[in-house]
Amino acid sequence: MKIIYIAIKDMTRSMRSTFAVLFMFGVPLLVTGMFYFMFGNIAAQGNGFDLPVARIVIVNLDEKSPNMQLGASMMGTLDGQNADNLGEIIVRTLQSKQFADLLKVTIATDLANARNAVDKNVADVALIIPADFSSRYFDQGSVSVQSGLELYSNPEKTIELAVLQSIMGQFMDALSGAKIAASVTANHASNLDYAVIGKVVQEYFAGANQQSFNPRTLINVKSVTKVADPNPVAGIVGPIMAGMMVFYAFYTGMTTAESILREDEEGTLSRLFTTPTSRTVILAGKFLAVGLTVLVQVVVLIVAAWLIFKIQWGDPIAVMLIALGTVLAASSFGIFANSLIKSTKQGGVIYGGVLTVTGMLGMIKIFTLQVPNTTPMMQTVSLLVPQGWAVNGFLQSAAAASITDTLVTVVVLLLWSIVFFSIGAWRFQRRFS
Amino acid sequence: MNAIEINNLHKTFGDIKAVDGVSLNVQEGEIFSLLGPNGAGKTTTISILSTLLKPDNGDALVLGHSIQNEPMKVKEALGVVPQDIALYEDLSARENLYFWGRMYGLRGAQLKQRVSEILDIIGLSDRQNGRVGKFSGGMKRRVNIGVALLHKPKVIYMDEPTVGIDPQSRRSILDSVVALKDQGMTVLYTTHYMEEAQELSDHIAIMDNGKLIANGTHDELVKLVGQLDRITLTINPESKQIVDIWKLTPGVQTISAEDGILTLLVDDSNRVLPRLFETASVNGVRITSVEIQVPNLETVFLHLTGRALRD
Repeated sequence: MKIIYIAIKDMTRSMRSTFAVLFMFGVPLLVTGMFYFMFGNIAAQGNGFDLPVARIVIVNLDEKSPNMQLGASMMGTLDGQNADNLGEIIVRTLQSKQFADLLKVTIATDLANARNAVDKNVADVALIIPADFSSRYFDQGSVSVQSGLELYSNPEKTIELAVLQSIMGQFMDALSGAKIAASVTANHASNLDYAVIGKVVQEYFAGANQQSFNPRTLINVKSVTKVADPNPVAGIVGPIMAGMMVFYAFYTGMTTAESILREDEEGTLSRLFTTPTSRTVILAGKFLAVGLTVLVQVVVLIVAAWLIFKIQWGDPIAVMLIALGTVLAASSFGIFANSLIKSTKQGGVIYGGVLTVTGMLGMIKIFTLQVPNTTPMMQTVSLLVPQGWAVNGFLQSAAAASITDTLVTVVVLLLWSIVFFSIGAWRFQRRFS
Repeated sequence: MNAIEINNLHKTFGDIKAVDGVSLNVQEGEIFSLLGPNGAGKTTTISILSTLLKPDNGDALVLGHSIQNEPMKVKEALGVVPQDIALYEDLSARENLYFWGRMYGLRGAQLKQRVSEILDIIGLSDRQNGRVGKFSGGMKRRVNIGVALLHKPKVIYMDEPTVGIDPQSRRSILDSVVALKDQGMTVLYTTHYMEEAQELSDHIAIMDNGKLIANGTHDELVKLVGQLDRITLTINPESKQIVDIWKLTPGVQTISAEDGILTLLVDDSNRVLPRLFETASVNGVRITSVEIQVPNLETVFLHLTGRALRD
């Protein structure tokens, strides 16, 4: 119980410091808020802001179906170039001048090449059109997500994925409407007059209302379990918030762990050692306080960012795991760094230097998120520091990365934590033995 | 029966012998003062007895428990009032007492009752919710002492508890020390104020340069000096030459000089003083003040070390 009492006492002291609270909660939200309002205002003024050009690689495996009477006639109507299948129409649409400012489209010969392009960061998203896409689409009874379009994306390319999803969503809506219109027109073509046209329109709308499936469900995003929030402002502010949260979590870990040195200088640590409480329990209580303080900070920031900026952090379990990994890494890093310092006077300089360098390195991913064609090395450098892994984790989670990718990040954060904590705890034990 | 038994304690920091073979006994229920100038080794001795420092040699028993082998039993038995105020300034007096009480193993109703009692004892019941950081030096000192009393220890160490506080708070603390003795506690009290040791103590040990140079009751220690008088002089200008001359003056036993103040132990002040004025006049030195005192602990320290007991 004494461990808990020491931790509660330390947390109470931390939370009573206006300066500490400001840096724990105020500054990260304030910085993110500045970006939020900046991008929000630009969007509200209708000027837009520079979206990155999404690099799309398409593999079209779609085939012509011999039984596709309606589809064949529609294809001529829609495309004007007598396309054999819907896949061709999609490719031509995405390659059209209309989307030239948003998309840079390349064609892959097969599935493996398309996925490989994404894996190697040559493309942001792969659009895979399955072989039976046309035939299934024109036979509503057998439509399923499994036979739909597949989007395979780099988990960090949330905006590019959202752009393509949005375009394809609109395309599928239009295709659905056209299908109904073509169907109605075919039924009434022999008696074409004004009354028939009125009936066509009427039936078009009736058909649209009776549509039993949502054509957008045909877009099947692989490596993504949940469709990312299409709100571009939140999409841009999310990584910034993640970066701020990680940066200040490590700052809090560092300054909270400093209380060990401060108590040593103020004489309260010596006094604690004169009570019938073992030194291991006293240090454990101090360490627990660091972890709990960072935990409170991270949880509050995640929830506040979700409420204030509508940031979608991703799957709750993935977010919890990444948050836990971040808390442990930030706390143990603080304990480790303070164990190397002799006094709080040294702390100010060292905290500033260490946190700035490691923090900036860790946030390279965020800085380069909107920069096209970044080298893989740029991404790798950030993983040299624990902040980089924590940032990576939150980006993965927001992009709904697979649980395997998330777990790898969490495990690496835990490994960092074990190393930092072991060295820090050992050094403090030795110092106060 | 002895509450504390110290046997041949040694502690060295680099080349400095902070505690050099100290042995003494403190009886149950008495106030025992360790008297000595700054750097004499008093705080190091207290730190060893509190199990904060491990001695290089020797051992001590606190209520029969060895500081080397049973440190946790020793900690349970004693309360420590450190020299510097060791409190959490951003917590209130009440919160501080609750926290420290828990560290001494108090819980629930017992803790609540004891905190209220201590707040009454230290006279801060009406300020219990005030943050310690906003308290005066004297109030902080009182809380500092209160913390050490929470678990009703049988032995209490007080390391220079009156340093840097106003006379009123000092008086209050000295009264509280006597009150602790009246409640049956054993108090080991360190100070470099001779008057405090003289007023409070049943026994006094004088330390200098890590060594115990005298130990006994006040009267026993004063007897060490014999019938010597202590004369304190202020001269202008400061003169090393006159000090050397006075050292050779008949009747002068010891002389120490510090910051223009000379302290002499002499056989008979009535006979020696005129000689001092005479030689001063001849050497162009003016004596600006004279104080003659009967032998006391200052005199004892001067007699034993050749130096005055000052900060």
